[in-house]
Amino acid sequence: MLSVTGLDVHYGPVHALKGVDIAVAPGSVTALLGANGAGKTTALMAIAGARPVTRGAIRFDGRDITGMRAEDIIRLGIGVVPEGRRVFASLTVEENLAVAGSLAADKAVSAARRAAMMERFPILAERRTQRAGLLSGGEQQMLAIARALMAAPRLLLLDEPSLGLAPLMVDRVFDLIAELKAEGLAMLLVEQNVPLSLEIADRVAVLANGRVSVAGTAAELGESEAIRGAYMAA
Amino acid sequence: MDYVIQQTVNALSLGGIYAMLALGLAIVFSIVRLINFAHGEIMTVGGYGVFAATVFGLPIPLAVASGVFAAVFAAVAMERVAFRAMRGASVVSLLITSFAISEILKVLFQNGISARPKPIQLPAALSGSYEVGAITVGVIPTISIVTTLLALLGLTLFLRRTETGMAMRAAAEDFEMLRLLGVRADRVVAAAFALSGLLAGIAAVMWTAQRGSVDPLMGFFPVLKAFIATVLGGLGSLSGAILGGFFVGAVEVFSQAFLPDSLSPYRDAIVLSTVIAVLLVRPDGLVPAVKVDRS
Amino acid sequence: MRPVLTSLALMAGTAFTPLATPAAAQDTYKIGVMSAQSGYLTPYDQPSYAGFKYCIDKMNAAGGLAGQYQVELDVRDTRSDMAETVKVAQEMVDNGAQFIVSSADADPTIAAGQITQPEGIPTMTFAGTAPVLTQVGDYIFGSYPADNQQATVLADFATEQGFEKVYIVKSPDSAYTMGGPEYFATVFQANGGEVVGESLYSLNQPDFSAIVTNIKATEPAPDLIVTWAWEPDFPAFIKALRGAGLTTQVMGGDVLDTPTVRGLGDVVDGTYHTSGGFPEEGSAYGDWVKEYTEATGAEPDNNYYVNGCDIAHMIEDAVEAAGSTDPAAVRDALAAIEDGEGIMSNFTFAGTDRMPLRPVVIAKINADGSKDFVMRGTADPEKLPAP
Repeated sequence: MLSVTGLDVHYGPVHALKGVDIAVAPGSVTALLGANGAGKTTALMAIAGARPVTRGAIRFDGRDITGMRAEDIIRLGIGVVPEGRRVFASLTVEENLAVAGSLAADKAVSAARRAAMMERFPILAERRTQRAGLLSGGEQQMLAIARALMAAPRLLLLDEPSLGLAPLMVDRVFDLIAELKAEGLAMLLVEQNVPLSLEIADRVAVLANGRVSVAGTAAELGESEAIRGAYMAA
Repeated sequence: MDYVIQQTVNALSLGGIYAMLALGLAIVFSIVRLINFAHGEIMTVGGYGVFAATVFGLPIPLAVASGVFAAVFAAVAMERVAFRAMRGASVVSLLITSFAISEILKVLFQNGISARPKPIQLPAALSGSYEVGAITVGVIPTISIVTTLLALLGLTLFLRRTETGMAMRAAAEDFEMLRLLGVRADRVVAAAFALSGLLAGIAAVMWTAQRGSVDPLMGFFPVLKAFIATVLGGLGSLSGAILGGFFVGAVEVFSQAFLPDSLSPYRDAIVLSTVIAVLLVRPDGLVPAVKVDRS
Repeated sequence: MRPVLTSLALMAGTAFTPLATPAAAQDTYKIGVMSAQSGYLTPYDQPSYAGFKYCIDKMNAAGGLAGQYQVELDVRDTRSDMAETVKVAQEMVDNGAQFIVSSADADPTIAAGQITQPEGIPTMTFAGTAPVLTQVGDYIFGSYPADNQQATVLADFATEQGFEKVYIVKSPDSAYTMGGPEYFATVFQANGGEVVGESLYSLNQPDFSAIVTNIKATEPAPDLIVTWAWEPDFPAFIKALRGAGLTTQVMGGDVLDTPTVRGLGDVVDGTYHTSGGFPEEGSAYGDWVKEYTEATGAEPDNNYYVNGCDIAHMIEDAVEAAGSTDPAAVRDALAAIEDGEGIMSNFTFAGTDRMPLRPVVIAKINADGSKDFVMRGTADPEKLPAP
């Protein structure tokens, strides 16, 4: 579904990614692991079209999307839950969802999806008229995911969804990811939480210093020292 | 007391125009980080739009429409021709680009239309006044205040109720995130410029109606004041821009009304000193903007 | 931004540089001309220069000044900027200018005079009317009836019409907007009138409603308002005044003699203003307007055109009387002219401090955009307020 080959990204003078290969199969979850600064977020943003790619190819459903504008890539069916959630703090919960739904061709479709999100996330329904900036971290994370789902994507890019959340919240987020996977949504998951990631992922790639140091199925790598090593190296 | 009320009406009328101009600047700044120095020329184009209509003898509603349309067109064209290519450039590059556009337009007005002011003749009824108790209120200032309030109300509804309006508020906070939701950046930016042009156009109509002429520098001076208003209100903050506009208008009118004439040459200095004093207490302006800065 | 500006300035400069004059056999007389092609002086410099050039070209075609000297113009754009004005003046001097015509306001003329006076090059303003401008030195000349002359004639007229209480609106931002109303007040008070109030404004002031409110609150109420405000301030002021329901008579300076002001309609109906001349049918000025319109296709709609032409006549008279182009001789001859023949009006420099004594016209604006001739008079030198 998603295939990234030989991806190079420069971030000013920094050569952030060097020949990175990542693949996500339809309906599966690929976890992208690695220490802070390894280039995980950069890879995710490059796939979404928000960072310029210097070399390599990104294909989605067999179509080359390298160099396309972010909004056009998103419209092909990719949802983004970014690092730090980035909800629109001064907009209400409902407005956050409405903005995301505005690309649905039809207002009725957008409203129906909004209603579906409220049903799925009762916390958001409770807080629909509150400003997103006033929500707790966990609630904001739910909102960020709901917002990405408003466009009914076929692939979801998740960047550190558990970061900074209370343990109970972390479990809920991962339950949700499992639920989405069960519904057949493909995901590329960037995470620091290795055990939970290995639990949910089908495939794993470990980034270190801008390169993929290890890649394989979660089962293969679950026991491997390489993953632990990748984190230590940082 | 009547005198104070009368001067308050004057302050509201002037402040409302500043508020509309400041709001246009703030809308564009909040989204594309551009301090549009050519905003004054958008207003001037609006003034010439009114002038052109009166030359052709069009009735007042059409003259108003012509002025507003000309300003919206100028704003959107400016974005399309000059600023779109500069998207994402640094604040300084954008500022200099807008300086250049402003200069080019001023020379074009001067050589293409006239260096001299062009008169705008409005029906006598509009130059009239009416009495409320002991206070005489001009028809045009009244229309000006009412229009400003309607425009501000309309804009608030637009920003709160429509998807485009919500997208603009979201863009002001985090433009990249908005694009990561699939919202088209070009449309949001074009809408922001159109809106700033609309407000400048309304301001231009009010301005020319009150002043009776349009010249190449018409927009320059009020927009200068509007810049001060946006900084005072908090750069990029919409409600701050409105508040700042009324504040600057009030300081200007009241300093003329209540300060001795010997201090009159220092009037602009007084306005600016007040602004500096406010900024010392509130460095981010009266109503600081919500902005997630990433980079 | 700078490259854009510079190239525009260059373009403007090239456009106005006259084509090379072919009369190599004759003597040339080099005149430096400042003409702002942008900024606040443009509306006055452009028509002044057009009229000046039209008459200089005619004189050149007829064999040159005094039938002998082909005029070579060195025209430069000042962009209405003081620093640029000084720079341009220096360049003209370095370029060998024997006479300089400076921008149409006192302030740039004074700035240019600081350069040309020590060099001993006669300098005449296009239309600066503040009499202080000649105080820079004895090489600096006015061309238009000075503010104190205009104000004296206007004040005498106001007194004759029975006005007694005047409200003054003036701006310290320029010698013109400040001086005119003050000269008026001096003469008006000497005539027995009273100044009941005054307000100061800034050039390009956005809003005049506060001043109008002050006028309204003035006790005793004025029966006359006098201002030397120009565009766009005067239109803004009169709109605010009439908009507030005040119908007080307004009188102003010669800057009101423009189609823009006349185009304001009802609000300016009945406004009196001074002027340097009036192109009455059959007068020399009236004929000149026709001639100029036929020759250029553009109708001179203000006095700056014809005054520009009169400057050419003043220079020719001086060169003729001096019998040479020597700057000191031309200066002396110019300062001694008595009742020289002009098209707008005749001019006398002898006995003045180089602001020529010329008749002043008072005109009245009508709502339909026309103006009526009211009277013509010359200021009584005894009454003339000192600059």
